[in-house]
Amino acid sequence: MFFYLILTMFLNLDIKKREKVAVIDDSGESITYGEICDFSKLFSKYVPKRSLIFILSENKIGSLLGYTSALSNRVVPLIISARTEESLYVNLRDLYQPEFLWVPNHLTKQLGYELVFSAWNYTLVKTNYPSTPMFDELSLLLPTSGSTGSPKLVRHSYRNIEANADNVRRLFNLNEDEKAMAILPMHYTMGLSVIASHLLAGATILLSNRSLLDKGFWSMLKEATSFTGVPYSYEVLLKMRFTRMDLPKLRIITQGGGKLTTEMWQALATYAQERGKKFIATYGQSECTARMAYLPSELAMSKICSIGIAEPGGQLSIVDSDGNESFEGEATGEMIYRGENVTLGYATSREDLLKGDENHGVMHTGDLVHRDADGCYFVIGRLKRFLKIFGLRIGLDEVETLIKSEFKTDCYCKGNDEKLVILVTDSSLVPLIPVFVEEKTHLFHQNIEVQVVEAILRNEAGKVINQ
Amino acid sequence: MTNLEKLNAIFCKVFAVESTTLDESFDKDHIDSWDSVHQLSLTSSVEDEFDIMLDAEDILEFTSYNKVKAILAKYEIEL
Repeated sequence: MFFYLILTMFLNLDIKKREKVAVIDDSGESITYGEICDFSKLFSKYVPKRSLIFILSENKIGSLLGYTSALSNRVVPLIISARTEESLYVNLRDLYQPEFLWVPNHLTKQLGYELVFSAWNYTLVKTNYPSTPMFDELSLLLPTSGSTGSPKLVRHSYRNIEANADNVRRLFNLNEDEKAMAILPMHYTMGLSVIASHLLAGATILLSNRSLLDKGFWSMLKEATSFTGVPYSYEVLLKMRFTRMDLPKLRIITQGGGKLTTEMWQALATYAQERGKKFIATYGQSECTARMAYLPSELAMSKICSIGIAEPGGQLSIVDSDGNESFEGEATGEMIYRGENVTLGYATSREDLLKGDENHGVMHTGDLVHRDADGCYFVIGRLKRFLKIFGLRIGLDEVETLIKSEFKTDCYCKGNDEKLVILVTDSSLVPLIPVFVEEKTHLFHQNIEVQVVEAILRNEAGKVINQ
Repeated sequence: MTNLEKLNAIFCKVFAVESTTLDESFDKDHIDSWDSVHQLSLTSSVEDEFDIMLDAEDILEFTSYNKVKAILAKYEIEL
């Protein structure tokens, strides 16, 4: 096994059946595993090993080929949405200085760089930045929050990605007969996890860039054996009354990216039980290459809203308020995860790309959890300052920075996973801020509430006290 | 408020626009922000305002200002 990992391509892509269809996208076009390997060879002619490349991603074949080719050729991509707001993109570009960009054809003009080659509606462009020295095991960079354009990136090793893909493959018992509906964006850690785990399994990915309220999505879903979504995806599915639809091929519905409401959970668990399907809730963070825990489907009706147990290959524990760590029995405290998918650490500058492994396989999740007597974990709170709305991680400090620099004003962000609340002192900003934050982050403005306060009060430590 | 004014107010709120921009080209292809979040918010607001329950097929057709008006006619909402 160990030998294979060394001798074969990324995700063992070259030992899959060459003629087997790997990906089908919205255009109806498809590519086989053989074509993925061939494309990777072509890509290597243009992009030297250990180059830094930005992939401006969409859920389309061209974008996915950029990912598989970069990883197969030891080229390091930062994957961001092709819809990233321009000033946020410029910020990242100036900071990290990629030698190449892999972008949708329609964006090449405005980027204004030398065109190298095009395929599958994507184009490789070359910048004039010099090469970037990088840690040898660095494989992939992803933004910590999908939306605020924070320069803070998560650094992944090659082993992180393969370990996550294998853990997820084992968790869902994936084989090459699967057809996975992949709607979560590629620049989002769980979206990539769906892709990598199914490629490792030699399965077929139904890659969609469509809105869940597009007819094309629904006809594609009819062919899928599994669907992976965030709570918001299930809100749409339930609104569309998918539980009453005839989807005979669908075997697994799985969820990550935040907490479902009890009502939604029960609706999905009941649906799965009545229709002979599996409902599997999962938990993860981008700092751990997506997945970390899952609730076995047979517990869906009894352990409501639990994140379950550690995934195969991982280990969970709790450190309580006295600093004692425990691995079993009832306990409450911060959840700790150990596994080969724990990433190397963060980068906030180009120099950081040289850094090695800072986490050593241990992640303090920042989530406050309770473990019941049966060993199932429940998230009860959060120690870190971020919200998860529509599965998007909204870093509160980052939103504050954006507002402060745009409006030259003090502000404070708080909220829950339904609403971002922004406190300001200047009432004239009330109508301006939601539009601005929506433009920057793509967070829907109706999930943003601006409140006017007399003053933003801080204690001696600088901590805001008018919560 | 007439039904049309009610509908326009919903569009203005969901898309954060002025009612003067609502015309035949106000649709999914021209409005960048018209994603599933906006569409779902639009359908929910229309359901609440006019006290109707839209069929799944109609929710998928909520893709332009004009189409929404046509769908409302099906539910016997006179605009």
